[in-house]
Amino acid sequence: MTENQPEHQTNNLSEDPGKEIDSLLADLWQRHLPTLRERLDLLERTATEAATGTLEESTRAEGQSIAHKLSGNLGMFSHNKAGDLASQIEHILKTPTPETLLLLAGLTRTLREALTNHL
Amino acid sequence: MRRILIIDDEDDIREVAALSLEATAGWEILTANSGAKGIEVAVAQQPDAILMDVMMPEVDGPTTFRHMQQNPAIANIPVLLLTAKVQGVDQRRFAGLGVAAVLFKPFDPLTLADQISEVLGWSKNDHSNQPSSEPTD
Repeated sequence: MTENQPEHQTNNLSEDPGKEIDSLLADLWQRHLPTLRERLDLLERTATEAATGTLEESTRAEGQSIAHKLSGNLGMFSHNKAGDLASQIEHILKTPTPETLLLLAGLTRTLREALTNHL
Repeated sequence: MRRILIIDDEDDIREVAALSLEATAGWEILTANSGAKGIEVAVAQQPDAILMDVMMPEVDGPTTFRHMQQNPAIANIPVLLLTAKVQGVDQRRFAGLGVAAVLFKPFDPLTLADQISEVLGWSKNDHSNQPSSEPTD
């Protein structure tokens, strides 16, 4: 594949798009579980550093980016509560204060609990 | 048939959006996993519209959009930014870029094509791969 070629190009109007999309979502969830677990681990490390006053700027920025992605992705898989929690974590990491950073540990714990049965 | 370019660094978002638009609207889908690759595909393939993520590594969506605007070959292609829910100040910033619309994740795969069609003023006939049956007088 050359740089100028699209990596994907099709045209298939489905007779049952809902079923096809549900099947893809189930498959994607399984395929991306390792990435999701890594992201949850990273958010928990970020929360730990925040709680101990040792949060590095690079970790904060990476945590914010990961939380942003999760806030957009989890709802697509019908994990709306988890997506909202990720959005709250993103907001805290975007404009952190000493007070709000202390909330991260609880939020990340609740986020993992919300997904526990699906990990 | 409409041709849409999806630019997103997240594999799962690209796959779901692509299948969604193929399965529900029958559109031809092109994808790229970065802004730079997206520009190359856009220049070569001339899509009817571009659906692009905001937060991407290296070059983000708004910066990629500005590069597109400076390229006469693709400057007129409507761009829709796709982002997780953001605060009002960011929404206004994205809207102020001059993009056709800002759509939010999580999106409903069954209605994404409708959202895009509505924003771009595309008719229902653009939603299928059947020939248009509009009278021509």
